[in-house]
Amino acid sequence: MTLEARGLVAGYGDKSILDKVSFTLKDGEILAFFGHNGAGKSTTLKAVLGLLPAQEGEILLDGERIEKLSVSARLKRGLRLLPEGRGVFPDLSVEDSIEIVARSNRDPNGNKISGDDVYELLPVLKDRRKIVAGEMSGGQQQMLAFGLALLGSPKCVLLEEPSVGLQPDLVEELFAKMSDICKQLSISAILIEHKIVSAMKIADQVMIINSGKLVFNGTKTEAEQIDLWNYF
Amino acid sequence: MLYLQLVADGVVTGCAIGLVSVSFAYFYATTGIFHVAHAGIYTLCGYVAWYLTGIGVPFPLALLASIACGALVGAGIQATLYRQLDKKGASPLVKLIASIGVLTTLQNVVAILFTPNIVQFDLPWRLARVTIGGLAFSVPQVLVLVFSVVLFAGIVAFSKYTTLGKRIRAVASNPALAEITHLHPQKVFIYVIAIASGLVAVPGVLIGVDQALQPYTSLIILLTAVIAMIAGGIGSLGGAFIMSIVLAVVQSLSVAFVSGRWSVAVVFGIFVVFILIRPEGLFRHKFNRAI
Repeated sequence: MTLEARGLVAGYGDKSILDKVSFTLKDGEILAFFGHNGAGKSTTLKAVLGLLPAQEGEILLDGERIEKLSVSARLKRGLRLLPEGRGVFPDLSVEDSIEIVARSNRDPNGNKISGDDVYELLPVLKDRRKIVAGEMSGGQQQMLAFGLALLGSPKCVLLEEPSVGLQPDLVEELFAKMSDICKQLSISAILIEHKIVSAMKIADQVMIINSGKLVFNGTKTEAEQIDLWNYF
Repeated sequence: MLYLQLVADGVVTGCAIGLVSVSFAYFYATTGIFHVAHAGIYTLCGYVAWYLTGIGVPFPLALLASIACGALVGAGIQATLYRQLDKKGASPLVKLIASIGVLTTLQNVVAILFTPNIVQFDLPWRLARVTIGGLAFSVPQVLVLVFSVVLFAGIVAFSKYTTLGKRIRAVASNPALAEITHLHPQKVFIYVIAIASGLVAVPGVLIGVDQALQPYTSLIILLTAVIAMIAGGIGSLGGAFIMSIVLAVVQSLSVAFVSGRWSVAVVFGIFVVFILIRPEGLFRHKFNRAI
């Protein structure tokens, strides 16, 4: 899988937030995406998934242009979003949440990840099958949110600040789990994160955005050789 | 015995209002739309059954036809009005005003198509009475009781155990996530309004059989149903059903103490006091939709 953005411009209404953003993400890679609040990180993810229209530029998934496709069509092609904050159905049990999302994301060509696979990958959910999602801890809710994003045949998961509200040790644990699963199943990911040190541990590539413009786009090794804070 | 009979009558009326309340709450909790046009569907379905029985269609078939009619009209309102308003980013207030417009239109369409006058079903068993434990009920009252309890249990079981029921609860609890997990919220809204509108056809027909039909009186029934929904705890179907019965029993008993014309005021007065004491309603239920 290759996800590519070329000269992407997107925003809200007539206002553009992104200024010709371009990047390429290859199979199984994790791209850490940094920037201050309002810089355009979430706008980029929303535009990639189709929640915001691309005003200019191209988005390509495996060479196919998808910027004009509906959200539903992009989900069918393997894009997934783990939204910030509320990535679970608070009134539903873990089991019911996984059952209905698995059903609605069933791949006619064979699922890459079924409900049972999610329980195998994230055993914490197996132990809490009957628990209502809204009553679980923040960390467990994020595990469930990640599990829901994996169902079907995901190719690229867009992770929007999954560490919000979690204790630091849980963040490391969650990121390690996410990284293992992505590598194991060749799923690529874009990770928007404020906890830079934790995100850098699992990143293959790093991208920094400032006022809608990409100011750094390189490998993890390149990013480690510079002072990232100069780019904020 | 008089008080017991008043309680029994109240329970029957409460069960019918309970179905209106539960069906309204089901749609409202899922979509966040204050669908007052529900009262128009209630009226329309009563008249459809009245018309069909008038031309010789057996009552059970007329009831089924009115349920189907309610479901179709409801789905039409969602597909042609609410969905378009959603696409244009309309606020809940705009949707409420649009819904009031649909209610007025439906009431007038009923008056034009059928009659603006009070009408009664021409069914021989309508006035037959049965006595249970010394309490007298009309046959339509017994039907109201049986249908309401069965349908209420049915909708609760549907919501809890079926895939579509769970999908509806998922959309109600997090519509934004439902969109990005491929649950198709707009399709779900159509299913929900069709179910709610089919359900409200039942009290619409049975109360019409028991009492009479008039195109412009359904709003007061909906108002009582909405009060029951709020008092029961928005989002709780059980709360809406129980509070409908409680309010109807209070209203029924009140006629033993005050003139009948004040009974509605008694109910509303009790509601105001109740909601001041327990603003979250009878059953606490976290509800995040805009009201």
